[in-house]
Amino acid sequence: MVWLIAKREWLSNLVTARFVVGFLMCLFLIPFTLIVNLYDYSNQSRIFRVDSAKAEKELEEVRVYSYLRPEIVQSPEPLSIFCKGINPNVGNKVKIWLGEKPMFAEGNMKVRDNPLLNSFFSIDFIGIITIIMSLLAILFTHDACTREREHGTLKLQLSNDISRAVMLWGKVCGSYLTLMPVILFCFILSTLFILFNPNVSFSIQDWFRAGILFAACFVYLSVFIFIGLLISTRVKSSTTSIVICLFLWVFFVFLVPNLSVYLSESMISIPSRETLDFTIRDLENEFENRREAYVYRELELPLWWNRSSNTGEDGALIISNCAKSFFEWTRQSTAYSVPLRIEYAEKKWTHQKSYLDNLNHQRGLAEKLSLISPSEVFRLTASVVCRTDVDSHRRFMEKTRAYREIFIDFLESKKVTSSFLWFTPIPENKFLTASEFFSYVSEGEIDNVEEWNRRIAAQNGVAAGIWKRSVPEYFHDDYPFLDITDVPRFRMSADSLTDVLPYILVRLAGLILLSIILFYLAFLSFMKYDVR
Amino acid sequence: MLGILIKREILHHLYGLRFQIAAVLIALTFITGTVAFIRSHASKSVEYTRYTKELRDVLREKAETNATQLAIHETGYQLKPRDNGYISDCKEKYLPNRFLYTAFHVLEFSQHRGSVNPFLNHFQELNWSFITAILVSFVVLLFTFDAVSGEKETHTLAIQLSNSVSRSIVLLGKYLSAVWLTFTMTIVGVLLSLLVLVLSQQIHFTGTLLLEIGGYVLLVLLFISSMAGFGLLASVLTQRSNLSLLLAITFWLAFMIVIPNTAIFWANQFFPIEHEDVIASKVETTWQDIAFNARPGTWDRQYQRPFFPHHEWRGQTQTAMWSAIMDVANDWYLDMFHQLENTRKFTLVSPFSLFEYMNEGIVGGGYLRFQNVWKDLHEYQAQFFNFFQELDARDPDSPHWFNPREDLSTTRKPVDFESVPLFQEDPLTLAERLLFMRTYLVVMILYIGLIFCLTFFLFLRYDVR
Repeated sequence: MVWLIAKREWLSNLVTARFVVGFLMCLFLIPFTLIVNLYDYSNQSRIFRVDSAKAEKELEEVRVYSYLRPEIVQSPEPLSIFCKGINPNVGNKVKIWLGEKPMFAEGNMKVRDNPLLNSFFSIDFIGIITIIMSLLAILFTHDACTREREHGTLKLQLSNDISRAVMLWGKVCGSYLTLMPVILFCFILSTLFILFNPNVSFSIQDWFRAGILFAACFVYLSVFIFIGLLISTRVKSSTTSIVICLFLWVFFVFLVPNLSVYLSESMISIPSRETLDFTIRDLENEFENRREAYVYRELELPLWWNRSSNTGEDGALIISNCAKSFFEWTRQSTAYSVPLRIEYAEKKWTHQKSYLDNLNHQRGLAEKLSLISPSEVFRLTASVVCRTDVDSHRRFMEKTRAYREIFIDFLESKKVTSSFLWFTPIPENKFLTASEFFSYVSEGEIDNVEEWNRRIAAQNGVAAGIWKRSVPEYFHDDYPFLDITDVPRFRMSADSLTDVLPYILVRLAGLILLSIILFYLAFLSFMKYDVR
Repeated sequence: MLGILIKREILHHLYGLRFQIAAVLIALTFITGTVAFIRSHASKSVEYTRYTKELRDVLREKAETNATQLAIHETGYQLKPRDNGYISDCKEKYLPNRFLYTAFHVLEFSQHRGSVNPFLNHFQELNWSFITAILVSFVVLLFTFDAVSGEKETHTLAIQLSNSVSRSIVLLGKYLSAVWLTFTMTIVGVLLSLLVLVLSQQIHFTGTLLLEIGGYVLLVLLFISSMAGFGLLASVLTQRSNLSLLLAITFWLAFMIVIPNTAIFWANQFFPIEHEDVIASKVETTWQDIAFNARPGTWDRQYQRPFFPHHEWRGQTQTAMWSAIMDVANDWYLDMFHQLENTRKFTLVSPFSLFEYMNEGIVGGGYLRFQNVWKDLHEYQAQFFNFFQELDARDPDSPHWFNPREDLSTTRKPVDFESVPLFQEDPLTLAERLLFMRTYLVVMILYIGLIFCLTFFLFLRYDVR
């Protein structure tokens, strides 16, 4: 009997305008969203390939260890085609610095070159499902009882040998039968798009996750089916029912997501990023003062400076064409400043971590507040399934911080920070004293620093005429790049499903429990429903 | 007759459930949004004050070191949180809200790193504009979707029209009553919000503020009128109220979700601009061309000798280099402005977008504010450069070889920080705001007229039996 009622509901729903309109909406919006998201993903993949190649080239083309700074480039997430989550807000590149722990990823995952376009939001597959499916569920169930009551068919049906429970079950099954083809259509369409797109390749785990997403959609749909059913059994007119249902829909789908974030932002105030930047700048100044105090006061600065040098960020330094005394002075200064730089990274991290904790605290409150909306629960679950949630990003950043420690351990184990290899590729046995150097380059004309400086000053700082030849193999470009085969590499490992499964199951169980409660209330209400 | 019809319609709605739910929801949302704004704005203002103090300290330090250090320092100007943000935030936190400049150039604009929590999804603040766009527009559709088709179903429409009342009066009565009722609910919400602001001492009524509130109220009236037009159109397009509802919701979703949320895609398809990496490569090429073709010795520095001739060459090279780089960048920025403006034109078909853009004019925020600051900052930069030039001209120890990146060949004497002109954002004038809103206002009025005419035309042919 349940099947008969369900079939009747299904057939009567299929020929309604709401089914046609709902289906047409999905027919237009789902492919459109998929095309946009696939386009974004393809662009992200292109950028990823370019960035990875650039990072690898930069790593391979260093001649000294002080320039060795691995850059981690995160590959785009294929499942972001379904749910973008926080991916557009965070970067995908992390450079490993000695002077700072990775706090935020740099780079830009957004395929948006114009920051002014940020005033437009974009919607993904899950966003469409959240809005359209909940609306369709409500439209198909809000009048499940009221319409039949208004037409007088409800009392006719119940005058037969059908229990109210069977009838309600029949209506529920009918609603599922009506909506399932729409969800199936959306997912089959997306599967086809993914299968026939050469730029996207899903692993088995990705397909499995897509399956979980489908199941989550089904659960989400149930909540709104039962909301519609409950309201339908509580009121007498279809108009009243749809008005209440639509207000609930607007509240859950549009108001709560914005309200929860806005309230959490106003309840938890975070010191501005600029304040943090000023604190970091103060620490950097302190570091610089300590370094200079040691290097220029504790160590004796050689009379003659280096000839060829390049400096980079984070204390990167390469020198050549200078005297042995200057090499030694530089070695002593870097042996002091590199550990100090790492020590200051820890000091900075205390403030940075506190800032990150505040951001997470704010996000946590927003998520808690949004739990009153089934749409938000579904959206959060979907982002976890698609690995585009905050925790996935947090885990990635933690891995990069752990990798930084491994990288520092590697440098320390090789003892390069206190060696000449840190800043010059020239072997120690080739170092020349100042006299030897000047004598060689001036072809024996000058053999001391004082004379060299006097002659240079007399020529307005220009060495032409005095510098007659260069010392062979005494310039950094004369040497090959470092052998980096033993440098530890960052292994990009995707989060295992088992790690996040409890979270997903708890959220889905919450939605299922809510559905059961709503159905139970609808059942109780229908038992007492005045069918006249 | 029109008065009687309006009164009847209003009374009909007043006793209805949708009015009661809508009234409570609108009032509660206005109050909650305002309370959240007060807290959020207070903390943002404190942070902004701290930021400006820190920034002044940095600039003072530079000025005390030497005037050139101050001139070449890349100063970041950050937009102040607007006091009238409870009317509309204009999504300013997502827009570029930080400007970088020196005395030589206005370098770039960007979204300052702390303006949003990256772990939170993009969201809209619950200000008057958002509540009106989401909730009030929905309510007005709920009031109008069955105005004609609903009455047809209950057969009251035929009875009504059998009296000596014209169809135009009936339609106008339904239209005006829905507009009036929704407008009144919104005004009550606005008044409640103002009450909360007054009680929390967060508001100081000035002439400008009253004008802004008045302008917003008029804008709401226009917006509600357009949405009421769509609700009635949905009603006269169908014979049954459930179909009208479906159509009305489809309009609402198309205007509120589909058009604004697909704008970026259309922008990239129809009004593409060059990618950031292409611009970076152009800048690199420009830079290298000039740097490598510089005279030998251009890059030699002698810190203790300002009059070292190579400093002049380098000053000329750096000036040429940065002018060329800024030419590339400014062309790109212009492309960005055009892309946004064209995309906005594309979205004018949605009353929600029109309402959002006009709100920028009302409160002096969003893109209008951005453009204003960008323009003013260029004027300020010229003024700052003149100030620096005059300072330098007075210094006999300066070679007067301007270099936008170094402090070797221009005055190295400290300057009194209090005498340095600092950038102050000028509030937008009424004329500037109206000029910005002009096109949107005309489109909105035409839109309302068109929709109402179409509805009227269809209603004249509506089968009331």
